[in-house]
Amino acid sequence: MTDIQAPSDRELLIFKPKPSQPPPPATTGLIGWLRMNLFSSVSNTLLTVIGFYLIYLVASAVNHWGIELAVWNADTRRECLDQSPYGACWAGVFVWFNRFIYGRYPDLEQWRVSLTWVIFAAWMAPVWFPRVTSKVAIGLSAILIYPFLAGYFYLGGERNWFMEIMVSVAILSFVLCWAHVLLCLITGRGLGTTIISLSGYAGKHDKTHKYPIIAFGAVGFVIVYALISGWTLKEIGTNNWGGLFLTLVISGIGIAFALPAGIVLALGRRSKMPVIRVVCVAFIELLRSVPLITVLFMATTMFPLFLPEGLVFNKLASAIVAVCLFSAAYMAETVRGGLQAINKGQYEAAAAIGLGYWPMMALIIMPQALKLMIPNIVGSFIGLFKDTTLVSIIGLYDMLGMIKAVSQNPQWIGLHHEPLVTAAMIFFIGCFAMSKYSRHLEKKLGQGDRR
Amino acid sequence: MKKLSLLGLGAGLIAAVAFSAAPAQAESTLDIVKKRGHLRCQIGTPAPGFYNLKKDGSWVGSDVAVCRAVAAAIFDDPNKVEFQSVTSTVRFTALANGESDFLSRTTTWTLYRDTQLGLTFTTVNFYDGQGFMVPKDSGINSALDLKGATVCVLTGTTTELNLTDFSRTNKLDIQPVVFEDSNVRNETYLKGGCDAITNDKSGLASNKAGFPDPGAHTILPETISKEPLGPMVRKGDGQWFDIVRWTVFALVAAEEMGINQGNVASLAANPTSPEMARMLGKEGDLDKGLGLPKDWVVRVIGAVGNYGEIYGKYMGSKSPDGIGIARAGSQNDLWTKGGLMYAPPFR
Repeated sequence: MTDIQAPSDRELLIFKPKPSQPPPPATTGLIGWLRMNLFSSVSNTLLTVIGFYLIYLVASAVNHWGIELAVWNADTRRECLDQSPYGACWAGVFVWFNRFIYGRYPDLEQWRVSLTWVIFAAWMAPVWFPRVTSKVAIGLSAILIYPFLAGYFYLGGERNWFMEIMVSVAILSFVLCWAHVLLCLITGRGLGTTIISLSGYAGKHDKTHKYPIIAFGAVGFVIVYALISGWTLKEIGTNNWGGLFLTLVISGIGIAFALPAGIVLALGRRSKMPVIRVVCVAFIELLRSVPLITVLFMATTMFPLFLPEGLVFNKLASAIVAVCLFSAAYMAETVRGGLQAINKGQYEAAAAIGLGYWPMMALIIMPQALKLMIPNIVGSFIGLFKDTTLVSIIGLYDMLGMIKAVSQNPQWIGLHHEPLVTAAMIFFIGCFAMSKYSRHLEKKLGQGDRR
Repeated sequence: MKKLSLLGLGAGLIAAVAFSAAPAQAESTLDIVKKRGHLRCQIGTPAPGFYNLKKDGSWVGSDVAVCRAVAAAIFDDPNKVEFQSVTSTVRFTALANGESDFLSRTTTWTLYRDTQLGLTFTTVNFYDGQGFMVPKDSGINSALDLKGATVCVLTGTTTELNLTDFSRTNKLDIQPVVFEDSNVRNETYLKGGCDAITNDKSGLASNKAGFPDPGAHTILPETISKEPLGPMVRKGDGQWFDIVRWTVFALVAAEEMGINQGNVASLAANPTSPEMARMLGKEGDLDKGLGLPKDWVVRVIGAVGNYGEIYGKYMGSKSPDGIGIARAGSQNDLWTKGGLMYAPPFR
């Protein structure tokens, strides 16, 4: 022990390794990576060469057709064919692009559709901002109240008293959301707190705090209601809706409806009450054992046969209801899978601390189950988004329907490759964004598991 | 007890539906359409010439013009139409269930369809017929040369059945290659996947126009089937049947008398013959039975033109929306020029 305490007395014998040799040049950098991953053996080298050759073949063919020989500017397909008979006719896509996006929605009114997309993005964006409070309320208002505003913008026409109120509420909520967000970002205090302190209620009992907020909301409502009365948009019937817009309307409503309905159905299926269980099982199994296209045909064509003569339901509404019910049935099974993955101990523990059925589900079971199910849920959302193209078969002009229509227009007859490629890209962007976001969400919510 | 009350509820619901349905049935289609404020006209999924979408999203075509003509007769506004674009598999159901007021889409008049669907054909507004198209350098000059040939055909229509009939009758042993989508069928044909395409001749002509080299293909002279196409209505409302039928007759009669979109207003004021005076509502009361206003023909022609003008615009080559089928000498010419277009007298 003393030896160590007096190092200066003796010459220290410390092992000093020689400086390590650099790795052989063939194993580092780009060359090393290539050798490791692509040319590590004879068979791998062969596969690499064949693979690159195939990629080259496909890429050069695509380039040849889509870029080198392509026509970018023409008024008819004939012009395209005269310029370059074997190249892509992108001119057709440019000419028809608005129709792919908005369907038969009149050109002069298309701003309404675009505006609602911007409003939705602006409404949802604060959920991802730092330092903003009440994010749940913002998200819920976007899902529950926004549809009324969007619906009115899409449909237009005279508003009845209900729509008048809901549109006012929606505009007010949007304005309040952003007032709240700005206050949070600038002063660090939310809208509610600001109102309470400005009105002088801050010192009073907590129970009185709701009065100034209610008063503020009521005044805001009256102002908005007065401002929008007499303001109307041109009515655009749903048979003019189409393109990507229609795809988004159907899949958006389907997605928004599927998750809550799926949770309720899944809980019902696992319920101990026989009537509820039987009803849920029957609903789920019936809709899951029938193809979506059959459900759509039933809803739009067969169902009216059972109605009294002269009573016709809106075709789009029937299709949306069919899509909603169908996706809810699938979602229910996804959710049930997640519920089954939760250990029985969690239920017992929740019961042991005195939670009833609904608090147990809401506070203990669902948060864990939903986290587990994210990949499956997003998977069904992506499936639903793509499945909505089936409505083109029942005569709704979604993006696929518009593409088919273009190939039958006398001036553009036969043009279908280029629009289909465009649609494929649009769908890819949508689906890829969804799956990327789900991965991000998984990572974020799964942080606790990796500790 | 629970079951009993459920039964009671069910019975109550059925009774409510039955009672609410009763007065609806008494109403005529014309009254329903008038009350609604627009016409619901069923067309098909886009087909060149007959009905297709323009760049601005509006519907055009010869069958679309019939819809607009009926709307003009009722409302004096050819745009008061809601077009219902329906696939051919559900077209009859969509008319029978009351979704559409009438059907104006390339539907072949057959005995079965006229008698067993609860629907009825009004008249013919286009005579089509099935034919074949082959590459010019194939050396085939007649449909009878198609022995053992592979022929591309669309499924689900009478076209496929006609091809089989034709093959059996003439012992040609034709091999059909069946497609769901006309674009895919054309692509297969152009790449040499089949020796010939068969379809209605109007469809062949418009498809040919979209080929990279239309001159390299030829439509064979034989017509192997009769395809009289016309609007359909539900059985049981004679007045509505007459309105649709006589609107088409008015288009043909107007062409015959030389009334067109440009001169209809002045001719209505100064008709040149007694029949023209009756037709344009200047004399007599021919509108009574139809329940339409006196000047309904003037409205129709003013809105869409006469039969010849419609043909020129959408089937001929008088506008960019046309598919360029020659009319002279065909069955779709007026009876005075050797065709089959014939309207009964307006008397």
